[in-house]
Amino acid sequence: MTVLAAHASPLGLLLVLAVIVPLLGLAPLLLLKARPAERSALVFLAAGLAIVCALCFEVARSGAPLAYFLGGFKPPLGVGLRADGFSAFMLGVTAVVMVAAGLFAMTAPGADKPRMPLAFWMLLLGVWSALNLVYVADDLFALYVALELLTFAAVPLVCLDGRAQTIAAALQYLLFALFGSVLYLLGAALLYGTYGTLDILLLAQRAHGEPALLAALALMTAGMVAKAALFPFYLWLPAAHAGAPAAASAILSAVVVKAPIFLVVRFWYDIASPAQTAAVAPILAALGAGAVVLCGVFALRQARLKLLIAYSTAAQIGYLFLMFPLAAASAGAGVWGAIAWTGGALHLVSHALSKAAMFMAAGVIAETLGHDRIAQLSGIGRIVPISVFAFGLGGLSLMGLPPSGGFVAKVMLLTSAVQQGSWWIAVVILLGGLLAAGYVLRVLLPALQRPDGNLVPVPVARWREMVALALALGAVALGFVPLQPAAFLAIGRPASWDGAVP
Amino acid sequence: MNLAAALLIAAPVVPFLLALACAFKSVRRVAPLLLAPAAVPGLLAALLVPRDVFVLVAPAPFRISFFLDVPGAILLGGAALLWIAAGTYAATYLAKDPRRGGFCVWWLLTLAGSFGVFIVADVASFYLAFALVSLAAFGLSAHDDTAEARRAGIVYLALTLFGEALLIAAFVMLASGSPQANPLIRDAVAQWPVSPWRDAILLLLVVGFALKMGLVPLHVWMPLAHAVAPVPASAVLSGIVVKAGVIGLLRFLPLGVALPHWGLALSIAGIFTAYYGIALGLTQKHPKRVLAYSTVSQMGVVATVIGGALVQGDSAAAAIAAFYAANHILLKGALFLAVGIAAATAPGAVMPVLGLAGLLGLSLAGLPFTGGALAKLAIKGPMGEGAAGFLLALSAAGTTLLMAKFVVLLRDSAKGRAAFPLPSQRLMAPWIVLSVLALALPFTLYPLVTGERIASAFALVNVEKTAVPVLLGLALAFALHQRGPALPEVPAGDVLVLAERLGPLLARGLAGVGRLDDVLRRWGVAGALLAGLVVALAVAVRSAP
Repeated sequence: MTVLAAHASPLGLLLVLAVIVPLLGLAPLLLLKARPAERSALVFLAAGLAIVCALCFEVARSGAPLAYFLGGFKPPLGVGLRADGFSAFMLGVTAVVMVAAGLFAMTAPGADKPRMPLAFWMLLLGVWSALNLVYVADDLFALYVALELLTFAAVPLVCLDGRAQTIAAALQYLLFALFGSVLYLLGAALLYGTYGTLDILLLAQRAHGEPALLAALALMTAGMVAKAALFPFYLWLPAAHAGAPAAASAILSAVVVKAPIFLVVRFWYDIASPAQTAAVAPILAALGAGAVVLCGVFALRQARLKLLIAYSTAAQIGYLFLMFPLAAASAGAGVWGAIAWTGGALHLVSHALSKAAMFMAAGVIAETLGHDRIAQLSGIGRIVPISVFAFGLGGLSLMGLPPSGGFVAKVMLLTSAVQQGSWWIAVVILLGGLLAAGYVLRVLLPALQRPDGNLVPVPVARWREMVALALALGAVALGFVPLQPAAFLAIGRPASWDGAVP
Repeated sequence: MNLAAALLIAAPVVPFLLALACAFKSVRRVAPLLLAPAAVPGLLAALLVPRDVFVLVAPAPFRISFFLDVPGAILLGGAALLWIAAGTYAATYLAKDPRRGGFCVWWLLTLAGSFGVFIVADVASFYLAFALVSLAAFGLSAHDDTAEARRAGIVYLALTLFGEALLIAAFVMLASGSPQANPLIRDAVAQWPVSPWRDAILLLLVVGFALKMGLVPLHVWMPLAHAVAPVPASAVLSGIVVKAGVIGLLRFLPLGVALPHWGLALSIAGIFTAYYGIALGLTQKHPKRVLAYSTVSQMGVVATVIGGALVQGDSAAAAIAAFYAANHILLKGALFLAVGIAAATAPGAVMPVLGLAGLLGLSLAGLPFTGGALAKLAIKGPMGEGAAGFLLALSAAGTTLLMAKFVVLLRDSAKGRAAFPLPSQRLMAPWIVLSVLALALPFTLYPLVTGERIASAFALVNVEKTAVPVLLGLALAFALHQRGPALPEVPAGDVLVLAERLGPLLARGLAGVGRLDDVLRRWGVAGALLAGLVVALAVAVRSAP
């Protein structure tokens, strides 16, 4: 590995700030009353966004990863934080979705009571801090802490309304996430016992295919797959994501499930050898294909809008795992492996933006109608046209039609699959697009039709619709990303990421 | 930036920006008046931009670029004329429609996409423009929001999205042979002979574009969608939108390479479609459905010409195919507008309308001294005197018969009140102007595409060639009208009705798969699978060298 950070970067403190600032934001929430607390949370969201922007800018400017050692102690003694191009990318995507969710959840200026309970804002900041730590920590124990914080902040978001149904969904989510944590912890303990370090970069140097390493990788990967709700472990996802309030669903579906996937990438591309990665990649891709096809079919059968979107998340996660065999072959595949990386990353960000937009739009629709039964959505396009438009644009990206990030991502993954002769992956990608079209149009077509009866809409704030629209337009704007490996993602990554491998 | 580049860019961009501007209520209110002017840049581009001009709009790595060759310019010009005429017509036709604002947005988007496919030069932009014209056309055909329109819309969308999936697969395979991320179409096609997936690419391209053109059995959406749209929308759908498939074949097939097997297959599909469209059209009871089936038939003719070009490896035939298609744009557009005119005409005053509509129909069949005869003569060049050429010539007799049927149905559809025997000038004028252009314009283009003098078209032997099928068709029509058997009406979409029988089967299959969902969401199942995954991963990773 050529990318060992031997010393801390001058601006490495940004990494600490990215994790700490959202946590600092929790303090005033404990002291203030609801309205000022909400305002203070928004201020901290803005501050967090500024820090992440600065961090991404610095990574892009220097062309090298940012690194920081807590207390000045280098691993194995201390804990290292590091942000390469991929981490900075994830930080950026998360920041955008977080701020959008905050704006969406904000109370309207004239309203007499706050829209969201105080707990929402606390959990929002907690989830953000945990996610940022997942992206920058280089230490498996710090990552364990981050994952636990993520679980404990994300689970209550599901049952904010306190209904028995959502509490059951939250418990199911919690239990399954704990399964994942246990598997992860087992793996981490095995590694520590064998190699005497938990630092990912040091592990990569010391490990050479010992049985302990292989067992640990298998355990930790299974744990992350459970937390990411990859097929066939999606049982907790539909109820949890559909039960949460719209702003929370947006975060859960757009970014929270992506964090474990980020770690799977770290395990297999930073610790394991390319040959080991190539050996497990087909298994991950097979699960991904199952997700794309079967969860897509399940989404077609849902009766409620939010459940449909949640199943769509379970399906879309599959694409990210289809990326593994395409990218795993990159040692020999050169630029075609690199384009799979870029395609996967682009799919991740366009799905994050479009799915957040769709959940928000669904929230607005449910609010104005008082229900989200798909059979009774006729004519909703005449009542909340902006939300339906946002939903449609988000759907465009899911279907992989141009212009959208989903389209460019699909073309990149297809190109990589075709070049490497992985025909079955190409077929799954195309089939997934058609299934997505099926479940998106199931909602969109009635929405554009004449209302069946008299709709008595409840008015909704225009700017909340605009937040959803802005996210969806972001997913569309990603359709203008050039069809080539992105240099930013390759910063500080193995050479295979930018296609420069001979 | 020079004028040529500005015009080429303006052609698709102006209507697109107008569509965006419809987000403002003030623009939306006057939108029907914008429909005709929105197509003017396209017409100017077709007339003023010199041939084979290449414009790079966005440099590498985007490489968004425009290119106007002879086939592209002919189709662009023909389409622009119909867009202007139909747009003028629509402004009056929809004056009382409360939902005309939304209609105008779909119209402008379809317009932008249709101009786009004729002039873009790079693969990604082509796919974008193709998707835009295909999907926005859904909004036009579904505008009336009747039960019929909803069914037509679903069938259309399902097949369109299926076609898009085939095409993106073909484009990715084609483009991955070239070093650039987004190659020009001609560079990508130039790589085709060395591609490892030549036959797969051709199959995907032909099926994907044939869907758009409506070659049998992929035509099922056309009689449904074109018959349910408002009249001016039907005119552009049947006239212009289907030509996206034609330009697709012309741009993406390696026409310079002789591919006898592929060419023969395409020709056979084309000829079958040409006759099938006529046969099914004759059973229809609604004038718009007759016209839609006639479009199916005519696109079969175009496919046969392109197939002939493939057999011989003759890239010059592209201009002739485009010429034939442009002739069809104008004639079919004018024929569809006639349906709206006749419906608003009093039965007593309908004769002149029928006369002009009949002339347009006969021109489509190749009546001598009309533009249509020149189109028929032009395709004789690449088709030669073989069986395909003979069968195509004979299909003109069928077209005559079909058009006679159309005129009879048109006569019966006249429902205007005697107090207002003819519809308003604002409906009549665009129809008459378009009809005159449709009959006359091919005379100016014929020498350009065939390289022959216009006088040759008036030579006795050529008049004879085009007159015989028309006379044969007229005689048949007369005979059938006198004592023909009453044909049963085949439901629009014909074989689709059979395919829809499979619907419940598919639903049951999906429900079966759906039950898997309930199984997988059990704790025991998920837990066991998770343990299984750990073992599977461990075994797999152990096997690594």
